[in-house]
Amino acid sequence: MNTDQDGFEPLIVALCCYWCSYTGADLAGTSRIQYPTNIRIVRVQCTGMIHPNLVIEALTGGADGVLVCGCHPGDCHYLDGNLRAKARAEAIEVMLQDFGLEAERFRLNWVSASEGARFAQVVSEMVEQVKKVGPSPYRVPV
Amino acid sequence: MAVRLAQEWLTICGGCEVTILDVGEPLLDILSKLEIVHMPVLMDHKLYGQTGENAQMEIPQADVGIISGGIRNEEHKHLAAEMRKKSKVLIAMGSCACYGGLPALANLSTVDDILEKVYHGSVSTESNGVPHEQIPALTDRVYAIHEVVPVDLKLPGCPPTPEVFVEAVTALLQNTPLILPGKSVCDDCPTIRERKTATALKRPLQPVEFTPGAPMDTVRCLMEQGFLCLGPATNSGCGGEGRTPRCIRAYMPCRGCFGPLADTANPMVDMMGALASVGVDTKQIPDRAATFNRFAGAQGRLRPVPTKGKMPS
Repeated sequence: MNTDQDGFEPLIVALCCYWCSYTGADLAGTSRIQYPTNIRIVRVQCTGMIHPNLVIEALTGGADGVLVCGCHPGDCHYLDGNLRAKARAEAIEVMLQDFGLEAERFRLNWVSASEGARFAQVVSEMVEQVKKVGPSPYRVPV
Repeated sequence: MAVRLAQEWLTICGGCEVTILDVGEPLLDILSKLEIVHMPVLMDHKLYGQTGENAQMEIPQADVGIISGGIRNEEHKHLAAEMRKKSKVLIAMGSCACYGGLPALANLSTVDDILEKVYHGSVSTESNGVPHEQIPALTDRVYAIHEVVPVDLKLPGCPPTPEVFVEAVTALLQNTPLILPGKSVCDDCPTIRERKTATALKRPLQPVEFTPGAPMDTVRCLMEQGFLCLGPATNSGCGGEGRTPRCIRAYMPCRGCFGPLADTANPMVDMMGALASVGVDTKQIPDRAATFNRFAGAQGRLRPVPTKGKMPS
């Protein structure tokens, strides 16, 4: 992948919850909605299980951005998993500074199972904002 | 036959050696079974012969080698390699040897920045340039011993407790395996957790609430009282027989000297996650990297922070 600023194609890890956002991503696919191919989706059972070390490890391991998608507040299959994720997201945002990373590299969004178009839009926005900040300083040159 | 013991200190304050003296009576039993062949803190055994006549560094053959302190310069690297070569069993003693310790806080800066600050930048310094003759060069960062040579046993702690030291040496002398608990400080902590509540953070020197003389299990969890306690992300074992962690016994929060629970763990990330999920406003925590990795800055846990999207060279 090109790490040159002009033709820079970011690599973004997306952690999507099984009940809403992963199904939302599925819907985006079955509906043939176009979105950038820069993301690699990892399905998790609930955003409440995303401990900050998963996000920090991806970012310090060279990922250009991490996108976390979960159910809308009140919709969580496990009642309050997504609210936990929100509390942790604040800690992650604080820690980005400690690792010298830009705030744009992390994003938490709510996408329900019926929001295929919204998923595509969230991904496009994320790719756009990461492209603006450029390659991750932790990326190992190939 | 006596067990031959060699001990060497690298980047160290000498506290680990004091631990050995602090053992008390059990030391008498141990000493009679030990023959100390090399120990700079106790005996006059020089590395290049007593008058400096040898060209090669020479540490005598030993059954047990103990290294305290991490690796900061090329001489330390050389010494660690020589200790490994001459010892059948090599023990890393203390948090500096196991995880880098306090000196590894320097890993937040590059070597160039450190030299610049110390020899030019600080206000009270009259600059005479960076000394370079007759002294070993600094390594690019502070290393734990096992990052440079293989280590058979790690005894963490700043300093390790005399109990842990005696346990380790006795186990070696009797040829029995030494099993460190592998639990967190919270597992051994008797204080009570009432419920998860968000409290305002307190500074470490503010008083802990407790009734003088009352047993430890009547005290409320220090984290719940609002103190930053590294218990959840720190190895247990400092409590000795009674198991109650050392600092908690003195009504002080854990500072993390027994090191992280796993080699790959980063206490800062773990603690921030734990604090956020109990509702603490994590933005209030000052100097997070150094607070949570105070004793564990080697193994890549502390490193210079990239600025403007570029790694410092």
